[in-house]
This record gives sequence, C-alpha cells and structure tokens, in this order.
Amino acid sequence: MSQVIIDAAHVTREFAMPAGTVTAVRDVSLHIHQGDYMAVRGPSGCGKSTLLHMLGCVDAPTSGTLTFDTRDIARLSDNERSLLRLRQIGFVFQRFFLLPMLTAAENIELPQSEAGVGKRERQSRTRELLDYVGLAARAEHRPSQLSGGEMQRVAIARALANRPRLLLADEPTGELDEATGGQIALLLDRVNQDGTALVIVTHDADLASRSHRVLMMRDGRIESEQAQ
Amino acid sequence: MRALAFAARSLTRQPARATLGMLGVAAVGALLFDMLLLSEGMIVSMRDLLDRTGFDVRVTTTPEMPRTAPRMENATETVDAIQKLPDVRTAIAIRFADVAIEHGQGEPLTGTFQGIVGASRPWTVMKGRDLHDTAAEIVINRILANDLHLEPGAAIVARTSCDSSPNASLPVTFHVSGIVSFPFELANEIMIGGTLATLERACGDVTRDQADMVLVTSTGPSDAVATAIGRIRPDLRAATNAQMLGRVEQGGFTYFRQISTVLTTVTVAFALLLICVLLTVSVNQRLGEIAALRALGFSRRRVVADVLCESALIVGTGGLLSLPLGALLAMWLDRILKNLPNIPADLHFFVFEPGALLLHLTLLVVTAFVAALYPMQIVARLPIAATLRSEVIS
Repeated sequence: MSQVIIDAAHVTREFAMPAGTVTAVRDVSLHIHQGDYMAVRGPSGCGKSTLLHMLGCVDAPTSGTLTFDTRDIARLSDNERSLLRLRQIGFVFQRFFLLPMLTAAENIELPQSEAGVGKRERQSRTRELLDYVGLAARAEHRPSQLSGGEMQRVAIARALANRPRLLLADEPTGELDEATGGQIALLLDRVNQDGTALVIVTHDADLASRSHRVLMMRDGRIESEQAQ
Repeated sequence: MRALAFAARSLTRQPARATLGMLGVAAVGALLFDMLLLSEGMIVSMRDLLDRTGFDVRVTTTPEMPRTAPRMENATETVDAIQKLPDVRTAIAIRFADVAIEHGQGEPLTGTFQGIVGASRPWTVMKGRDLHDTAAEIVINRILANDLHLEPGAAIVARTSCDSSPNASLPVTFHVSGIVSFPFELANEIMIGGTLATLERACGDVTRDQADMVLVTSTGPSDAVATAIGRIRPDLRAATNAQMLGRVEQGGFTYFRQISTVLTTVTVAFALLLICVLLTVSVNQRLGEIAALRALGFSRRRVVADVLCESALIVGTGGLLSLPLGALLAMWLDRILKNLPNIPADLHFFVFEPGALLLHLTLLVVTAFVAALYPMQIVARLPIAATLRSEVIS
C-alpha cells in the first residue's frame, strides 16, 4: 500500500450563521494515498468544496482530526500551514485566479519564488512546466491574451511549480466548454500518472469517471464511495 | 518576485488609478512640504537677515520695534559710551525720517531717510562709493535709483521731516555718492542714507542729536554686551538678535506657525484618506486572487507586505514628485506673500531647511504605513476558504 498523505478521521465543519449553525461537512473519514486519483461529486451545497478546502489546509475542521503526513492540521500555525501548502499542495481553481499583470511564465514562477527557489532553477522549471502543459510558445503572454483552456493549463502548471505531492482542483473544467474541458482532463490524467495525488471536486461526470475513486456527497456526508 | 517588485507590477494593473494616487500624493505632499517650510521659514529668514547686518545687539528706548518707540536723546554720546565698552567692536545710532523726493513729474516720491552716527554703515554699497561725512551727501537704494534713473554723482532735491510731513520742510539738494542695499528695506520702499548731521540739517533740527536705535557689533558674547549696555544706560533696552527674534516670534509670526500646523494636519489627513481609499478599493477588487495566493502557500506576512509595498510605492513616488512641485509652489507663494505691507524685501516666508525635509519624509513614511493599516488588516484577516467560495458564487 502506498504512503498515506492525508488521513481525515470523523471530520466535521460547522459554520456559525446568523440564522443558526450550518454543518457543511459531517463526520467524514477518508484517506488519500500517494498517487491517488479521487473525484468528489454531489449536488451544490453538499460540502464538496468545504471538504476540499480542509484537505488543502486552507480551512480546519470544527471537530475530528485531519493529518497531513501525520501532522495534525489543527495544531499547525497559520505560517506552518502556508508553508505546507506552498511545498506539498497545489491548487487549481474554477476561475483560474492567474495574476493578470504577470505573464504565463511569471505566474508559474511566482510560487517557486515564494518558496525561495533560485532564479536559474525557477526559469528552468517554468520552461519545463510550460512545455508539459503545451504552452511553451505562450510563455510571455498575459492571461488576457490566453483562452480559458490555456489559462487553466497555466494554472495547473503554477499548481505543479513546487512539485506538490497533492493537487486539489475545484471544478477545474467548470468554466470551460466540453472540448477544452476534455483537454484539461487529459492533462490532469497525466499529472496523476506522473505520481501526483489528485483530488477533484466536480459536477462533470466524464471528468469524475477518469478517477480511481469517486466519493458521492450529500448533506455534508459521504453517501457512497466507488472504486473504478 | 519579491514584495516590492510584485507591488510595482500590481500598480501597473490599474495605471490610471496608480497615477492619480501618485499625483494626489504629489499635490498633497507639495502642500505639506510648503507648510513645513512656512512653519519656520520667516523665523529662519529673519534670523538670517538680522545676522547679515553684522550687528548683534540692538538698543532702543522700549521693547517696542524701532520707529514705534520714543527716540533716545544724546545719540552721539550714547554711541561713544557703548563703543568704549569691552567686547564692543563698533556701534552706530540710526534715526529715521520721512523724505519726499521731488522729480518735476507730479507728486514727489516718498520714502525713508536713515541718518547714521558712528564709524560703520548698516548698508551695503552696490554701485559708486559710500558717503563721506560731508554735508549733503547721501546714498540711495536701487528702487529710487531705478525710479529716477539716478547714478552715483547725481543730485536730488528732497524735503525731509523728522516729526511732521516732509512737505512742510524746505527742499534741500543732496548729492548721491552710491547706490546701496539696506537690509530691512521693504519691497518698493525708497530709502536714503546719510549722516545724522545731514539728516538733521535737512530737517532743520541741527542740535537735537536724537536716534531711534543703536546697533552694536560685539566681539564677545552678545548677551554680555547687552547686559553691559543695560548697566551703563538703564533707561535703554538692549536686545541681542536672539532676543529680537523672540520678540518678533511673539508678534505676528506665530500665526504663520499656527496656520502651518493646521494645514499640515489637514494635508496629512487628506493624504491618509486618499491612500487608504485607493488601497482598500484595490484590495477589495482582488480578494479572490489574494485568497488564491494564500491557498497556493503565500504567507499572511507576504500578502500584507505586498499591500504595504504598494502604499510605499504610491507615497514614495508621489513624495519624490512633491519636492520639486513644493519648491515651485513655495517660490510662487513667497512672491505673493512678500507683497504684504511692511515686509522687508529680503525676508522670505518659505525657507528650505534640512530639518523640514527630514520631517516631510518622516511624515510621508508614517502616512504610507498608517494609510496601509486598514487594507493590510483586510488582507491579514482574509478567510481563504470563505473568500474562494464567495468568489465562485459571485
């Protein structure tokens, strides 16, 4: 059995709202192993994104324990969590969130620069990633000069910049047409084949069908889990 | 990409907004710089003017300013007595009188006649020569020379009055030996200098020997000389330049400082609001991106530093622009204010001092930091997950 990256045990996330407490994720337990490819599906508001945010250490459970490499997320300081995300976790967002004033190459360099990678190594890794996502010719283009699919490919390259062990993608094809979404799905397949564990939150059944495991969520709970 | 470079790139996203912010800071900064120059400018300029005359003790009959205080009697004897004190290099007495210069083209030109007793002169010769102690020889200032196209060697006819209107006295012909600069002459003021004897003869007052003021140059501490003068002439008030400056400061000059303090506070507050609003709007438009950067592993400290650097760049660039702008504005305002009545032509309201520049820069640095506090707080407290969720929903 490959190494466990994330171990979530009876994780619950509640939000205090003016109208009362809302439980977004209820008593969820799961493991994510090195090289896993997992899709999380379910209706809107079922807690998929909240679960993803907890797995990505940008949110902490209200109860239960969530460990990353045996480190309890709840016990880490904000700075330690930032460092963990920077070096171990990559994020891909539905809306890309590329910085519009930077070129594609600069967007990919940014997390490496934050991680203290030297200039020469950064540039080499950026070229390698642009090549990997098929955008070597677009290195100096700004996001406004790229199509939606190209922007998402740059966002994936940015997420992979510091060689994370886990890549989290929240509706990565949500803003794209079917054909472009298919290209992104192929790219994500390749990322996983190259050894990065992948967790995708998606409404897209085709995308989910490419994963090894599909979690179905409803009302904050895992309704079912299918291995594929 | 370090925080400063990142902040510079962030500003280029909205070049118009960033430029407006910088220009706003430049305008406010220029005003702030000018207010700081104004707060001490007149005092610095007056001190310089007093020091430039070469006299460091001024003697009058009362603490009032010369020409408003009663005259002292026996001017020649007083000057001689002061001259004999230790640590006194030279002493001169000055009497002021009104003068009307006839020029054959309508109304006579009116001005001030300074009559001097003593070895040195309170003026600087610009053209020609200084006067000899002979009757009817005078020096004139450039204003009069220009008005009547006079050169050294020319003659003028003037009526001088020590007490009443100059028109009541008899016309006297004077010979111009030189064109001089008087340290306290007002803008557009006509001034004539001569010996006290010349002045009194012109007034028809040959025996009065009165003076409005005695000026003393000391070789030692001016405080000690002022005390010594008070000892030998307890009826007179001797004041050092510093004491004179104190008197002046207690007069109208404090208003300028108060005005400058109020306007400095207003301009700093305006700069704070301007930068704070610009940064807050900018940060609020980028919450999704900032949350994404945090999710990608950017530390809280880093995203806060980005905002602070943006503030520093706007204020820094605007602050640099504010210096030449402020200097130009100060020159323009100085020219306007010097048209106020009874202001010596060589007195300036805005005077550059390193201390003012240092205070200006300090205030700008503090402004950049304080203005960024609120947007920095927004960024520091940004809930990553909730922001990413709301960005998707919106």
